[in-house]
Amino acid sequence: MADVILKAKGIRRSFGKKNVLNGLDLDLHKGDIYVLFGSNGVGKTTLVKILATLIHSDKGEITHFGMNSDDDLRDIRRKIGFMSHEPYLYRDLTASENLDFFADLYSIPNKEKRIEEMLKMVELYHRSFDKVGSFSRGMKQRLALARTLLHSPDLVFLDEPYSGLDLNAQAMLNKVIKKMNQEGVTFFMITHDLEKGMEIATRRGILSKGKIIADDNTDTGEFLSKYKEILGGENQ
Amino acid sequence: MINSMLILSLMILASFRFIFKFIDFSETELASPILWITFFFSGMFALAPIYQREVEQGTKEGLMLAPISASSIYFGKFLATFIIILGLNLFSTVVFFAFFAQPMPDMVLLLGIIVLGTIGFTALGNLISAISANLSQSQVMLPVLLIPILLFTVIMTSVEATFQIFDGAVLADLSNGIKLILAFDIIFVASGYLMIDYIIEE
Repeated sequence: MADVILKAKGIRRSFGKKNVLNGLDLDLHKGDIYVLFGSNGVGKTTLVKILATLIHSDKGEITHFGMNSDDDLRDIRRKIGFMSHEPYLYRDLTASENLDFFADLYSIPNKEKRIEEMLKMVELYHRSFDKVGSFSRGMKQRLALARTLLHSPDLVFLDEPYSGLDLNAQAMLNKVIKKMNQEGVTFFMITHDLEKGMEIATRRGILSKGKIIADDNTDTGEFLSKYKEILGGENQ
Repeated sequence: MINSMLILSLMILASFRFIFKFIDFSETELASPILWITFFFSGMFALAPIYQREVEQGTKEGLMLAPISASSIYFGKFLATFIIILGLNLFSTVVFFAFFAQPMPDMVLLLGIIVLGTIGFTALGNLISAISANLSQSQVMLPVLLIPILLFTVIMTSVEATFQIFDGAVLADLSNGIKLILAFDIIFVASGYLMIDYIIEE
């Protein structure tokens, strides 16, 4: 069994009286592409934000790379990347300036070369000096991917990464994920897109009633029928 | 945004200039309040977007994800805003002397008080801006929270010290005022440093 790089145990989070996460456990192993499915409002984004250290859980323990976020938050953040459905980009800055700003925050050595590399990877090099405010949703998402991967994180969280991307950009995203995964990067993705998610996943789960309930060792057919069964139950 | 702030300070000073053409007040006595009212209202423009724009553009979380402390974000924003507001205040001061035929006071002392007052103004403004950015109606909440505290601390003591400078005071006469402004500066900067973690992190 590969190294466990993220271990979450008994994660609970509620908003008011609504329990969103209810004692959730999760282990991520080095090299996983873990895709988590779930219906709307089930707590996927809350979970990924907790795992990415953006918000706190009410209860439970999380360790990233054996480190605790209470003691080693900055070291953890140096090793993780998070791409949300919000691009986290400055509209008044150009694509290149945005990456340059984040490169400084992460103290990336030889940043000009790295920025050029990232912009070429997401096929936005020709728009390097255009303001992000003039970009389409899909272009912003591609640039957000470049921002996420700029500091070469070991663990990447993706929150609905296919939203707003056209088919070419979706294929490009999957290609990038597979390539980086071969280089040892671990991915944790939440998505509604069953087809794209299943295509890329090496492990998968379903979030329902605040816990991950589906077993990732089941075969594809069994997983899909279980997913439909859970979705049907939640929509009733 | 800087252009709007420059125009606003110009408009405020021009308004005072025209008002005092018709009302017979002593400009010498009112020089200090005129100057600080101009600093105060034009400076408020710089404070509103400090954190609010991060929230609106969704970039706050991008900053939080970076391996930097919340206090680094606070001090980075404090420094940038301080430079902008100080530049604006110096511009307003030059325009003030062009508009009002004041006898030149001790400029070193005047600049010293402007710098000290701007530090306190920016430090508290930064902190309140961070607090109000997460509130609904943040644009209204910023002045509502900021004005009472700022007015009775940094602004009042700075107006008093500036008045004394226009009245021909020397450094020794101002020592109490300077100590008080410095104390407010230290309290506001320290409060920002200590509280920003809890304000930024959800």
